[in-house]
Amino acid sequence: MDKIIELKNLTKNFGNQQVLRGINLDIYQNEFLTLLGPSGCGKTTTLRIIAGFEEPSGGQILFDGTDISKVPAYKREVNTVFQKYSLFPHMNVYENVAFGLNIKKMDKALIETRVNRMLKLVGLADFGARDVTLLSGGQQQRVAIARALVNEPKVLLLDEPLGALDAKLRKDMQVELKKIQKEIGITFIFVTHDQEEALTMSDTVVVMNEGTIQQIGTPIDIYNEPENRFVAGFIGESNIIDGIMKKDLLVHFDDVDFECVDKGFPENEPVEVVLRPEDLDIVKPEDGKLTGEITSVTFKGVHYNVMVKTKYRDYRINTTDYWEIGTPVGLTLTPDDIHVMWKTQY
Amino acid sequence: MKHFRKLTIPYIVWCVIFILIPLLLIAIYAFTTGGNEVRTLNFTLSNFAKINEATYIKVFIKSLELGFLTTGICLAAGYPLAYIISRAPEESQDMLIMGVTIPTWINMLLRTYAWMNLLSDNGIINTLLGMLGIDPVHMMYTNFSVILGMVCNFMPFMIIPIHTSLRKMDHSLIEAAMDLGANPFQTFRRIILKLSMPGVINGVVLVFLMAISSFVIPKLLGGGQFVLIGNLIESQFISIGDWNFGSAISLILAAIILIALRLMKKMDLKEVEEN
Amino acid sequence: MRKYNGFWARLYIAVCFAFFYLPIIVTVIFSFNSSKSLSHFTGFSLRWYSALIEDNEIVQAVYVSVTIAVIATIVSTILGTMTAIGLSRSRKVLKDAILSINDIPILNPDIVTAISWMLLFSSMGLAKGYFTMLLAHIGFCTPFVITSVYPKVRSLDPNLANAAMDLGATPVQALTKVILPMIKPGIFAGILLAFTMSFDDFVISYFVTGNGVKNISIVVYNMTKRINPIINALSTIVIVVIVAILIVVNLTPRIVEKRAAARRAARDAAGAAAIESSGDSGIYRPSEHRHRRIGAGALIAVLGIALVAGSYAAAKKSSSSSAGAVRELRVYNAGEYMDLSLLDRFQQEYNCTVIYETFDSNEMMYTKLLAGDQYDILVPSDYMIERLIKEDYLQPIDWSLISNKDAIDPNVMDKAYDPGNVYSVPYFWGSVGILYDKTVVDKKDLKDGWNLLMNTKYKGNLYMYDSERDSFMVALKALGYSMNTTDEKQINDAYEWLIRQRRTMDPIYAGDDVIDNMISGNKAMAVVYSGDAAMIMSENDKLDYFEPPEGTNNWYDAMVITRDCRNVGLAHDFIDFMLQEDVAEQNTAYVGYSSPVKAVYEKMQKGTYAGIDAYVPRTGYGKDEIFGYQDTDIKKLFAQLWTKVKAQ
Repeated sequence: MDKIIELKNLTKNFGNQQVLRGINLDIYQNEFLTLLGPSGCGKTTTLRIIAGFEEPSGGQILFDGTDISKVPAYKREVNTVFQKYSLFPHMNVYENVAFGLNIKKMDKALIETRVNRMLKLVGLADFGARDVTLLSGGQQQRVAIARALVNEPKVLLLDEPLGALDAKLRKDMQVELKKIQKEIGITFIFVTHDQEEALTMSDTVVVMNEGTIQQIGTPIDIYNEPENRFVAGFIGESNIIDGIMKKDLLVHFDDVDFECVDKGFPENEPVEVVLRPEDLDIVKPEDGKLTGEITSVTFKGVHYNVMVKTKYRDYRINTTDYWEIGTPVGLTLTPDDIHVMWKTQY
Repeated sequence: MKHFRKLTIPYIVWCVIFILIPLLLIAIYAFTTGGNEVRTLNFTLSNFAKINEATYIKVFIKSLELGFLTTGICLAAGYPLAYIISRAPEESQDMLIMGVTIPTWINMLLRTYAWMNLLSDNGIINTLLGMLGIDPVHMMYTNFSVILGMVCNFMPFMIIPIHTSLRKMDHSLIEAAMDLGANPFQTFRRIILKLSMPGVINGVVLVFLMAISSFVIPKLLGGGQFVLIGNLIESQFISIGDWNFGSAISLILAAIILIALRLMKKMDLKEVEEN
Repeated sequence: MRKYNGFWARLYIAVCFAFFYLPIIVTVIFSFNSSKSLSHFTGFSLRWYSALIEDNEIVQAVYVSVTIAVIATIVSTILGTMTAIGLSRSRKVLKDAILSINDIPILNPDIVTAISWMLLFSSMGLAKGYFTMLLAHIGFCTPFVITSVYPKVRSLDPNLANAAMDLGATPVQALTKVILPMIKPGIFAGILLAFTMSFDDFVISYFVTGNGVKNISIVVYNMTKRINPIINALSTIVIVVIVAILIVVNLTPRIVEKRAAARRAARDAAGAAAIESSGDSGIYRPSEHRHRRIGAGALIAVLGIALVAGSYAAAKKSSSSSAGAVRELRVYNAGEYMDLSLLDRFQQEYNCTVIYETFDSNEMMYTKLLAGDQYDILVPSDYMIERLIKEDYLQPIDWSLISNKDAIDPNVMDKAYDPGNVYSVPYFWGSVGILYDKTVVDKKDLKDGWNLLMNTKYKGNLYMYDSERDSFMVALKALGYSMNTTDEKQINDAYEWLIRQRRTMDPIYAGDDVIDNMISGNKAMAVVYSGDAAMIMSENDKLDYFEPPEGTNNWYDAMVITRDCRNVGLAHDFIDFMLQEDVAEQNTAYVGYSSPVKAVYEKMQKGTYAGIDAYVPRTGYGKDEIFGYQDTDIKKLFAQLWTKVKAQ
């Protein structure tokens, strides 16, 4: 696959605040890439720089090999789906979608064909004459998508487009978007703070925090092999424990030695251990590697979220079984469940 | 929630006495000729027939002309200013708009008087021109001075509604348009201008209304030969004493304004429908 | 994408603001000018400010403007807020109806609203004055308050009042403790709007006032005929006060907010120790909302100061007309026709108050009388006196009370308009003629008489008088007719003459503003009264005055006493005072008109107006006429024709 966008050492300052501290990223054709991170991490700023609404303070942005940092937004071959949709209230659905094509002064008949095709694609085939201000959130969103895609951009940028939708609709739209991307076959750059969403839809996830990229990888990589404490804490729930890597395949924490599958650390190196709540099992105290007591049980629908207080810390465990508060229990895990990371440098 | 409904009663009474009855009185005077003392109710259209003379028609036409001209200039000069202010940083905007509003707080007569001095044949402007070796320009008592006075007085009322609607506009719409390939000029024409229309219409109505009914500015800056509708009405009531005729003219003025308002409202709706 | 604007944008803002503020800046600068000039700054001086404070009329007007604005604002705010709240709970039909009616005073041109109220008060028989002005101001302020407050009320959660009452509040408490605080921004906007509209108003006040009650706008309007730098001083004060109010209202909340934020930041920085030592600093304190109350307080304080200032002005006024004296004299005279310092002197010597009003023309005076405005002394012209006598507006003069009657020149007594001077006492007399610039007008052209004013050589270079009788007089005389004709054909010929003059000569129709304009030599010719000519010529020696051979108007103005004069003795005192030699001398020297007091008339010819022929108008010339009484229909005809001439 070819690279379509390259970000080289992008920095951005707003006044005294440094929002991007050197972003390096290659984005490929036909991939669904998500920028994921908490509020203020710089993901939206990065997106806006790609779109052309902000100029980088430093660094370059290459599109198909050419530097486009000075190219104004209306000349770039990218289109954006805005967070609040930003539909033109004084135009109906058809006119909104046709806007970009009208600007290009395309032939009217051709516009009609394309717009109708696009409306069909997003499931709004008969909505052309409708007033955009009267549509539901989900419908407005689809108009926004249609309006962007009808211009056949090389890259589609989506700025937290699902944020305003209710939970069920959101899940449906996630599937829809993925479907559309595969059908049209262009690059989607998606921004969200919802890690579950990122894991569901993406080919590549870029985790960001405080203006820097924390990790780039597939959803599975990010989830199973977080490279640092931030990623581990941000993706999924985790228990993160300070430990010592005694030697390859052996890690020590909470006064216990555990067999694990990581190696390549120096002997007795201080490390951080990540244990996913769904990987820990609650057993009878005598069967567990660690012992403790149940302190809280919260029903989450899919599972119970159980807190177990052990000697050194509280562990979070997800289990489908119900446990009484106060029950003495034990915790076990397999070597596969343990993931060791380098200790985060602060 | 019925509790506070009765609060409207005093104002309803007030409205009847101070808004409805006076209007009725104008209508009565307009359609009778009894004069001021004996209001013999013989309904007649003679007052309106009087208006139908060439001279008076000319007065109406002149007022409309001046009204359109003033409104046009205020719009042409005021829209850019409103637009520029709406693009400034937030705190500056408040200050700039205050700067535009302050002159309107100062008594209109005082400001008009100041213009009289500025424009007079031996006022400051002509003195300065004299220093540059240019002949004095006759500015007072001309169309120029009247329009200048009206534009200076009324432009803030064009700027403020336009600015309000520009400010309220969702700026992401501009980005959306640009994202879709519209250059700044196209963005302005298709998006910004259209969305600021309510403000524009508001401003146009306001200024037009004030311009065609104004009588002080034409009198002070235009002199006795500037007879506009307002001056006509004033002279009927103050100098000539023909209240019936004066009322008839007032009714016609009110009618013109009502028609103008209706037209503007229709234009606004039509815009929305077309899109 | 809100970038700050480029160079051209900023330049445009600067140009626009320069345009808006130019008159204001120039006014402020020239208010400190040491000379009367409005084009040359000769030096720094505060003389106009001290003159301003001395000028009772202006001080009174400020009092009127301020008090009416304050009272009207308070009443309209209360009424408007009540109504807005009530409307939000009313049925749709009523709501829409009231809101539409409410729009009427806002959308109607103010002149239409003004006359609608004028008709109302006249029909109700309500005497026009302070009270009617106040009612009118409340009338046009309340709709603005409603349009400011109503949107705020409408945007409130409808359950708020319910919630309050659910917690035990009475409806009144729900109103005062919940609803009112939430709509405060709307109420403030309404207050500011109401105050501005009231303070700034001219048109409505002009039509509904009477009895000498004037606000700032009306006084300035009357003063615009003559150049008067006192107005600049007044403007400057108004500007400073308004800007100060705006700054206080807008900046105070922000300053206090900043200080509160700084205090909070300091508290946070102090950290945990502070929490322990000061107990509950993390907990919200009601005092943090003080900044909003301070903004409100500032506004009220300013309004209060305004009231106090106004009361001071009123106190000063009443003290200047001595305590305890309720004696009032209402005098209605032509504009620029009296040295006003004589009024002050009269008020002091006779321990009374004179309410002095001016009219632009006899016709205007008559219309006001007809409308029911009341005065004690009038100073009309000959033909108008004839009409007033006929229509029984006047009472006879008790000549035994006029001690100076023998000082009057017998030549001005016993004229046809009032044989035997039963009702009138001469005030000034003179003729009408052409004032011309000797250096511009060719002496040979003078032989054309009144038709000099049709000589296209002087196109665009002349003033005609904005008065129907005088202008028609010119036309009729130019055509060789009597100026008292009732022949409709002759009148029509005169009308055509005037129309032709308008079209070919492009004259300017001026009133008293002709005086300063001719002193400055702005045009080559003007039709003026002899007295004005004398005064102008004493200040500009390039000018000369001539009475055309076709004849002109020989006029007499006299003081008369109305039938409903409230203080006949005082009225006679006033008339007698005017005939006093030193008073008459001061008056004629100031105004320039020929005095009826013989000794003074002769003295002026040797002194102040020596060599100025305008001071000694032509008398005994067969073709000169005095204006006679016109019956109502002819009067109306002239009026309408004159309006048409001006409307060309």
